[in-house]
Amino acid sequence: MSVPTHFESGRSGQGAAYVSDHEGSAHARFMRVSSYVLAPLGLLSAWHLAGLVGKDLDGVRAEIGHPLPAIVLILFAVIGMIHARQGANEIIEDYVHDDALREKALYWNRIASIAIACAWTFAIMLIAAPK
Amino acid sequence: MANAGTDERAAKRPLSPHLTIFKPWLTMAMSMAHRITGAGLYIGMALMALFLLGSGVGGWLHALTGWLASGFIGGMIVFLITWAIFHHMLGGIRHALWDRGLYMDAQGRELLAQASLYGGVGLTVLLWVLKSLAG
Repeated sequence: MSVPTHFESGRSGQGAAYVSDHEGSAHARFMRVSSYVLAPLGLLSAWHLAGLVGKDLDGVRAEIGHPLPAIVLILFAVIGMIHARQGANEIIEDYVHDDALREKALYWNRIASIAIACAWTFAIMLIAAPK
Repeated sequence: MANAGTDERAAKRPLSPHLTIFKPWLTMAMSMAHRITGAGLYIGMALMALFLLGSGVGGWLHALTGWLASGFIGGMIVFLITWAIFHHMLGGIRHALWDRGLYMDAQGRELLAQASLYGGVGLTVLLWVLKSLAG
């Protein structure tokens, strides 16, 4: 005996094709596209971050206080933290089963990722600003 | 939206028994490592943001955050961040290859898992050797 399916999509309405109401494919696509940019930025950023170890203020300025390293590091942090926020969202959605706690975690993930990207960008601008 | 009855049944439904029944293959370990390095980089970026902020502002803030990239602990933090960048990057390249249907057979998967494990360590060592040679 066949059972008629009453599939209802919030996006396309009742009886429409099987269109997902969720954002999985957009998420997956974003993680991939951003990673193509993050791979070269990550290589360069790892190089410059390694150069910060044991440096005093003048040493830090000499390592990253130039236009190119500064731009690389800012792009890495901004694109990286959007990518990281999406990744952390995925982890939270996988492991936090309590609805209220999950909403709270997603909210603080958004705040933290924006704060990190802003603090990092502001700091690089201070370091790279001409004296 | 699901109604109350479905929610109750969903709560009773067993979750995917991934950890309890699968053999701990290297591919599985590398999948977990991809997540762990990703989450670790989130924390690492926060620490480096603090260090950079301290370096930019200077004075008391630098006195507070300078240890994050100097001395043994700071050196370890930055060392682990660079390893996590390389490991997570190679994990991403692995996914990009799989997206294209490449290396999906048993040998291919094992090869990519080993490549991301040893490649991540190798790139980290190479970076720090080059960095110390460059001064």
